[in-house]
Amino acid sequence: MRHPYDTAAGTVLLGLVLTAVLVALLRLLAA
Amino acid sequence: MDIHLDLVLRWAHFLAGIIWVGHNYSSVVQRPSWQPLAAADLVDDRSPRFQALLNREHGLFRWASVVTWCAGMLMLWQRGWLPGALGLEGGLAFIGLGMYIGTAMMLNVWFVLWPHQQKVLGLKPASVEERLRCSRITHLSSRTNTMLSIPLLFFMAAGSHGGFLLA
Repeated sequence: MRHPYDTAAGTVLLGLVLTAVLVALLRLLAA
Repeated sequence: MDIHLDLVLRWAHFLAGIIWVGHNYSSVVQRPSWQPLAAADLVDDRSPRFQALLNREHGLFRWASVVTWCAGMLMLWQRGWLPGALGLEGGLAFIGLGMYIGTAMMLNVWFVLWPHQQKVLGLKPASVEERLRCSRITHLSSRTNTMLSIPLLFFMAAGSHGGFLLA
């Protein structure tokens, strides 16, 4: 089964998505 | 805060961190896509010299992860920021989140990647089937750290330059 980590693009994309999600969560926490 | 110690710790944190995560990035550049090992790939890798080289290569980035983590924690501690970072309080939330991500990455190296990598490399006895299974786990473990380094570096930068995000 293919996993996002099986390509460089998938790995980077997941990292960018996680960054955006964590920033949004931090902003919620700080509000 | 001792400014001399702070500078040395920051330098060590950068240097060791680049050695550590640089290994991950190097892996991604050299092998962007997953290439499964075959049993034939594992047949002739038992020479002591080859094993010593592999062990040293893997030791370098494993210990770099420890230096990076210790330097980062010491910086937070000697600035008096550690409690605030642990509690994700105010402006320390960014570096605190980075600290948690970095800690998860170091634990991943030592407690997920390394035990499986030892079997893949033949440093611990395992059947060929087990070594092939472990090679998939080491791939996923390594890529997890590559992926986590992206938010980690963002939050390291945001600690000094991202205050507007919480305004």
